[in-house]
Amino acid sequence: MSEPDASRRQVQGDVAALAGTIERAAGDLAIAEEPSNFAAVLEAGAPRD
Amino acid sequence: MTDLTLTELAVAIAARKISAVEATRACLDRIAALDRRLHAFITLDADGALARAHALDADLAAGRRRGPLHGVPLAYKDLCHVRGLATSCGTKTAEYFTSQTECTAVARLSAAGAVTLGKLNMTELALGPFGDNPHHGNVDNPWKSGHVSGGSSSGSGAAVAAGLAFGALGSDTGGSIRLPSACCGIVGIKPTYGRVSRAGAMPLSWSLDHLGPMARTVRDAALMLELIAGHDPHDATSSPRPVTALLAALERSPAGLRVALPENYYLEGVTPEVRAVVETAARVLASLGAQVQTLRLPDPAMLNDVANILARSESAAIHTRVLRERPHELGAAVRSRLEVGLHVSAHDYLQAGRLRARLTREFVAEVFAEVDVLLAPTIPEAPPALEAVTAGPVDEIVRRMGRFSRLTRPFNVLGLPVVALPCGVSADGRPLGLQIVGRPFDEATILRLAYAYEQATDWHQRRPGV
Repeated sequence: MSEPDASRRQVQGDVAALAGTIERAAGDLAIAEEPSNFAAVLEAGAPRD
Repeated sequence: MTDLTLTELAVAIAARKISAVEATRACLDRIAALDRRLHAFITLDADGALARAHALDADLAAGRRRGPLHGVPLAYKDLCHVRGLATSCGTKTAEYFTSQTECTAVARLSAAGAVTLGKLNMTELALGPFGDNPHHGNVDNPWKSGHVSGGSSSGSGAAVAAGLAFGALGSDTGGSIRLPSACCGIVGIKPTYGRVSRAGAMPLSWSLDHLGPMARTVRDAALMLELIAGHDPHDATSSPRPVTALLAALERSPAGLRVALPENYYLEGVTPEVRAVVETAARVLASLGAQVQTLRLPDPAMLNDVANILARSESAAIHTRVLRERPHELGAAVRSRLEVGLHVSAHDYLQAGRLRARLTREFVAEVFAEVDVLLAPTIPEAPPALEAVTAGPVDEIVRRMGRFSRLTRPFNVLGLPVVALPCGVSADGRPLGLQIVGRPFDEATILRLAYAYEQATDWHQRRPGV
C-alpha cells in the first residue's frame, strides 16, 4: 500500500470512528433539538442580575 | 519598565510619570533584544507604534485621555485584521486573510488608547497546541528554551510573559488562549461564546471560536475583557446581553462561593505535580472561605468527540481553497487535520451540533445546580520539549495534539467562560496552569475567584529569566 493510500485509509477510519460515536449518542435526541438551541441554553443559564 | 503590569503602566502614563513613547520604546528595545530567540512577532510595526505613541502623548498633554489603555503597548495574534498590516494567520502567505472591517476587539482596544506594536506569531491556521510554525519560526518558551510555548496563540503567550508587550489578544477554538497562557505562566480568558465579537478575525470553526485577552495578571486581563466585550452588529453570534462590571467584581470576597474539583476526567492522566498544584489551589481557595467539594461531571469525552466533528468540518470548509490549491504550503499535521473534515458527512455534522445543544443544557443544569465554579488543570503536564512532541509520524503527532488539549477543548463545546492562570511550576521551573470555569456569561465570578487566588499566591509576580 502506498503512503497516500495508507494516510487516506487512516483518515477515513478516524472519521468513521468519530461518526459512530456521535451517531450512538445522538440516537435519542429529541425531535425538537436543533444546533441553534445552544445559544439559547447559554442565555438561559446566565446569572440573573 | 516592562516589568510593570498593564494596569500599573496605564496609571503611570495617566499620571504623566511615564510617556507612551517611553513605554513603546521599552517594548521595542526588548523585542530587539529577545525576539530573535522567541520568534513571538510575525510583523513588527515600530514606526507606526512610535507615531501613535507620540500622538497619544500630545493628546494627554492637551488634557485628552482616550481611555483606560491610553499609551499602553499591546500586540495581536496574526489572525486579527489590523488596518495597514498584513494578516498571515501563521501561513506562508503574507496576506492570507483580509476583512472589510478591522477586528472589532482590536478597534475597541485602540479606541481605549492602546498602541499597536504589531502582529504575533501563531501555529499555522491556528491548528495546533505546541507553538511550532514552519514559516515564521517556532515560538520558544520564555521559561525554558526548547520547550513548548503552547498554541495556537503562541506568540501572544511568549510576548506577554517575556515583557515584549503589556497584553495581547489570542483566539481559542480548543484551548488556544489557555494553553499558551499555561505554558508561558500568564493569565488568559476564554470568554463565554458570544461575549466577545470575532468580527475581523480569521475563523477556524465558527461554532467553537472565541477571542480573548492574555496578560500578566487577572486585573489586566479583566480590564482588557471589559473593553472588548459586548454586542457587535458585525458578528451575528455576539450576544446583546449587557457587559458586567468586571473590575468592580474583583474586589468582592470569594467567601461562600461553591467550588468543585472534578472527580472524573480532569485529574486523571495528568502528571502527579499537575494534580498536586491544582489540589493545592483548591486548598488556598478553601482558606479564603470558598466551599470546596468534589463533583462528578457529565462525560467530557463525548464533548471532545463533538468538538472534533464540528472543528474539523468547519475548518475544512473555511480553508478548503488552500487545502485543494496549495496543500504543499501547509505543514503535514495541519494538512492532515484539515483533510479529515472533508470526509465528515452533513448528517454527522448536524447531529454533533444537536448533541452539543443537549450536552450544554445538561451540563449547565447538573453542574451549576451544585456549584458556582469548577477547577481543572489547563495542561496535563509541564510544557514538554518541542522536539519530542513534533517528531515522528503525522498521525502520532495529531494524537499528541489531542492529548495536550483534552482539558481545554470541552469548554469550547460548552461555550462556558474560563480563566486560565498560573498555579505552580514543575521541579525544573516550567509553568503549570489552573482553569476556573463558570456559568454562561458569569465572567465576573471566575475573575473574582481568580483574583482572590492570585492575591493569596505569588505566581503572577514571577518572571521568566529571559
